[in-house]
Amino acid sequence: MSVAIGKREQRIVAIVWVIGIIVVWELASFLLKYVIQDPMASAKLPYPHIVAMTFVENWKILLEAGLVTFSRAAIGFALGSSVGILLAVLMSLSKTMERIAFPYLIVSQMIPVLGLAPIIFNIVRDMNVSRIMIAAYITFFPVAVNMLSGLKSVEQEKKDLLFSIASSKFKVYQKLMLPFSMSYLFTGLKIAAPMAVTASILVDMLGSKSGIGVKILYSLYSNSSNIFWASVLTSAFMGIISFYVVVFAERLCLPWQKATPRKEGVRA
Amino acid sequence: MNAPEIQIKNVSMVYPVNNGQDIVALTDVNLDIQEGEFISLLGPSGCGKTTLLRIIADLNQPTAGSVAIRGQSPRDIRMQRKYGIVFQNPVLYDWRTVRRNICMPMEIMGIPKKERTARINRVLELVGLQDFGDKYPFELSGGMQQRVGIARALALDPEFLFMDEPFSALDEFTREKLNEDLLSIWSKAKKTVIFVTHNIPESVFLSDRVVVLSPHPGRISAIVDINLPRPRENSIRETPEFYEYVTKIRRSFEGV
Repeated sequence: MSVAIGKREQRIVAIVWVIGIIVVWELASFLLKYVIQDPMASAKLPYPHIVAMTFVENWKILLEAGLVTFSRAAIGFALGSSVGILLAVLMSLSKTMERIAFPYLIVSQMIPVLGLAPIIFNIVRDMNVSRIMIAAYITFFPVAVNMLSGLKSVEQEKKDLLFSIASSKFKVYQKLMLPFSMSYLFTGLKIAAPMAVTASILVDMLGSKSGIGVKILYSLYSNSSNIFWASVLTSAFMGIISFYVVVFAERLCLPWQKATPRKEGVRA
Repeated sequence: MNAPEIQIKNVSMVYPVNNGQDIVALTDVNLDIQEGEFISLLGPSGCGKTTLLRIIADLNQPTAGSVAIRGQSPRDIRMQRKYGIVFQNPVLYDWRTVRRNICMPMEIMGIPKKERTARINRVLELVGLQDFGDKYPFELSGGMQQRVGIARALALDPEFLFMDEPFSALDEFTREKLNEDLLSIWSKAKKTVIFVTHNIPESVFLSDRVVVLSPHPGRISAIVDINLPRPRENSIRETPEFYEYVTKIRRSFEGV
């Protein structure tokens, strides 16, 4: 089957990439230390195997710190997604609503999170609430925009069909608009999930006592570069995991998308 | 003759265009359709045949004239959910299996679950898709998808069946097969059918009457009674009578 071969090839490509990056990294660390003879080599670019060992040795602390940040990011993500979906539905229901809301949506994305996070923290004075709010703030935009584009992409004939049997607006959304937009929604969620994690890490750095961002910041200042790198690695994993959780949810929720649909040219 | 089931009176349809040259899709169309009749609206692209069907189905509003279905407006008929419609495309919902696609309008109408299942089984058999109920639309060929669209309309057991070029995207072999299937379905449940097509043999094969429309502006240029015996099978396409009707209708276009 051609699909299976495609998947296997993908996996091989992924493995080659991972191995390639590790090899290049090892080599770069070696060059920095012994060829260029940089005295700060082990801080600038420690060997990946040492980072990996640090990671394994400190997995409990890293996991704990990671979970603190990740769970807040997840709550914010859920919150932001709900707001995004709601906004998209409202905007699709009313042109006026769209005209009023959309410029604000765009402007909202021009405010840098780096500036917004301290403001929110100053107002709420609670690290967890700040994390959640910033994650939600980052999430709602890509979700709203993608969901709206899904709602707007429903073909007229599909709507005509429901119109022909005099279905209510509510039923049109329930039976057609919302299910149709699901794949668009998931595109938005996939963009938003790693961003929400990143934003939560950023909030950690504003003076939190726990969280993976704190680990990154402290280890950077205290010159323990191995922990620093292990923390960064943990953050990267968190972003990747968040993405694949959404991918997994998509597979679960949209089983009809498992195979690539035959679009055109299908004949009896 | 009885009072006509569907009465189309002086219907005109003009699409306003920005540059002032409005497009006249239909002008002064008059047509009476009897109960249980199989009517084809035949014509080239741009003759307004689809527009006419959509007006009868209350999907478009005419700019002039009126349509009465059993003395009621198309809107009333639509609100009472009395017609089933089949579009040019199958218009299936990708996220629903074949069974659930057929089920969807019945869910909205609030038909009880038991009844829905019974009807789904019946129409699946009618269109010959018993074994494909649990497939998703993308797993079906184009002809099968179109049959699901027809089954979905039939499941409502509507009093009127409106079909807008349902077979136009299919190859000739599939089309002829589905034509035959459609007639056998229709002969079992004598609905009033309005069938839009641009295929002359198809219209002759299916119809009691072929309403020929011509474009610019869209109007009825001829109405041809098809007095071929029923039930009709595909072999009828080889008879001289069939050929005569096809020729007659084709000639009516040449004069335009």
